[in-house]
Amino acid sequence: MDEYAIGVLTNIGLISFLGLSAYVLLISGELSFGQQAFFGIGAYAAGIATAMFAWPLPLAIAIAMAGGATAAALVAWPTLRLRGLYFAMATLAAAEMFRIAFELLHWQVELGGERVGPDGTQGFRGIRWIFERGVEPLGFLALVWLLLLAFVLGIWWMERSRLGATLRAVGADPELARSLGVDVERLKLAIVAASGALAALGGALFAHHNTYIEPRNFDLMLGVHSLAYPLIGGLGTVLGPLLGAALDIGVLEGSRFLQGYRMIVFGGLVALLLIFRPRGLLDENLVHRLKK
Amino acid sequence: MSDFLQNTLDGLAAGASYALLALGFTLIFGVLRRANLSYGPAIMFGAYAAAWTSLNFHVGLGVLFAVMLATTVLAGAYVERLAFAPHRAGSAVAAMVASFALWMQFEEVATLVLPRHLYAFPALYEGGPLPLGALTVRVEALVMIGVAIAICGAVWWLLYRTRFGAAVRAVIDNPIAAGLSGISVPAVSIRIFALASAIGAVAGFLIVTTQEQVTPMLGMWSTLKGLLAMMLGGLGSLPGAVIGGLALGLIEAHSQWYLGPQLRDFLAYFLLFVLLAVRAPWMNTRSAS
Amino acid sequence: MMKLLVLAALLAPLTVHAQTRADMQCKATGKDLIYDCTIRLARGDQPLEGAQVSVGADMPSMPMAHNVKPVKARPGNGPGEYLARLDLEMTGEWAVKVRISGKVRDQVVLHYRFDERGARPIRRR
Repeated sequence: MDEYAIGVLTNIGLISFLGLSAYVLLISGELSFGQQAFFGIGAYAAGIATAMFAWPLPLAIAIAMAGGATAAALVAWPTLRLRGLYFAMATLAAAEMFRIAFELLHWQVELGGERVGPDGTQGFRGIRWIFERGVEPLGFLALVWLLLLAFVLGIWWMERSRLGATLRAVGADPELARSLGVDVERLKLAIVAASGALAALGGALFAHHNTYIEPRNFDLMLGVHSLAYPLIGGLGTVLGPLLGAALDIGVLEGSRFLQGYRMIVFGGLVALLLIFRPRGLLDENLVHRLKK
Repeated sequence: MSDFLQNTLDGLAAGASYALLALGFTLIFGVLRRANLSYGPAIMFGAYAAAWTSLNFHVGLGVLFAVMLATTVLAGAYVERLAFAPHRAGSAVAAMVASFALWMQFEEVATLVLPRHLYAFPALYEGGPLPLGALTVRVEALVMIGVAIAICGAVWWLLYRTRFGAAVRAVIDNPIAAGLSGISVPAVSIRIFALASAIGAVAGFLIVTTQEQVTPMLGMWSTLKGLLAMMLGGLGSLPGAVIGGLALGLIEAHSQWYLGPQLRDFLAYFLLFVLLAVRAPWMNTRSAS
Repeated sequence: MMKLLVLAALLAPLTVHAQTRADMQCKATGKDLIYDCTIRLARGDQPLEGAQVSVGADMPSMPMAHNVKPVKARPGNGPGEYLARLDLEMTGEWAVKVRISGKVRDQVVLHYRFDERGARPIRRR
């Protein structure tokens, strides 16, 4: 497989973590414009861990996920009782605060005669853990997809369990769920934390794949894209966000002959698709029918 | 003291443009209960059309404004037809993501036609600022404030002194009841979109002639400022949108003076977050969304 | 406990930090945002010869879309020199990704501002 294709597949995998993160929120009835911030937190945390302190990648990923979960919980805890667009705007405000915090983060250490670390708007370069260990692109691709599939399996298993049914019930009608004894707030907090961890995992891997991150990578544009993937791919199954990511990066990359017109075509396709399938390609109805 | 007054003046001018942006967002949200993520991008698209015109033809500001107004309103109608009308009875999230998809289209068309990341735009006023005692007053700022007042007055008149306005208020209040009493919600919807786009075009034109430049970031910028101002003043409230916009301008001007540009933005978002978290009374957080 | 120590030893960081240094000069070809770029690579104090170099570019916003397909660079005239032709969609700031493979595997990201004439490195404040 040529390196270009490996790169495209890796990007699909990385962005799928963001899509999954938005997906678990959407099925439990929450709309978030802020997942990009947790992606960024994961990226910075993991980058700092490996590039500045030379900690191993698995540890860095664990730290990143913990950071993402904590940040998400911090954002959600005061705002849980907000509905719909209000919660979405609170997440947007929080995400922009995190992005500005990245712009203000100047923390570098001297390593081998070089200064390494985040340098505000200049970004954070030199996250080279995988290069220093000679990890081949194919190897990294395998790592990304193994992790992705592990979590996809986990979410799929969760959805088949009582927890999954409860989540969808809360998503459809929180008042009814509450009256049936479900601790809606506690559940939503847990789900938001999980979504933060997922996004952060994607961010940690992204930082190492790109070797360079900067605050502008984590803006509202990325956040709305993360919402778009489950919505296009379908809210009926955990594979939906993956399909959405593959369509975006796949269509974008695959149609390079439409050089310069990709977003026009893709934007139009998305808007049209949503008219006919407002809950995505693999929506609940289709999945239900396929199961029979 | 004169610093404080100067910042207040500058803040009011910026706030006037935010107020207009927020007004447009709120008109659409009030009638449709959805946030239009293509609102800023449509304005950017109109600004680019005007910039292209100014680069290729020698025309005055009046013609440029007409081009921007027409383009933005048409862009708004396109968004309404493709992203909002089909989802009227359906999912709000689908409408918002669809409007985002159209944002991508606007941005790409704009950068295809004008690929540089920055274009000069003719100035609103060629002269310098006017001294007023210890303060300097920019003519553009006065125009911005004056136009904003005029537009608020016009919108008020439209909503409270015309039949159309009564229909709009009925839809904002209760779309189902309004539909049942014979009001055509789709007709109201598209006209409000046109009005909101027109207001956005005015705000955008004043902004680009004051800054004397157009960049593709104008779309993201106006969306963020408009949403922020709309939320600060209480989602869904038209007077709130204006007050929110002015407040945002004042907060930004003063906090930039003492804290610098990054903390200025941080403070505005922090304020919104806190207001939402404590569910401040005017935020309308209890009403359905 | 023993297992943890073994694992830690296996995952222990390498202490070698040989980073590739890159320097780039670009000239606009006059055609629609196409630039001819010369990239000089060095490792330690030695110019890097005989590597396979591919060059791509990303816009900082939305780093995984909006990017330029990597092109293979051909060896240039001087030591450690590689030539690549970049076709960008917009002027402005781009993060140019130089991917090195072959004897050495590395990646360097360069921040440049592209305009009608060429490209200048950016030091943003």
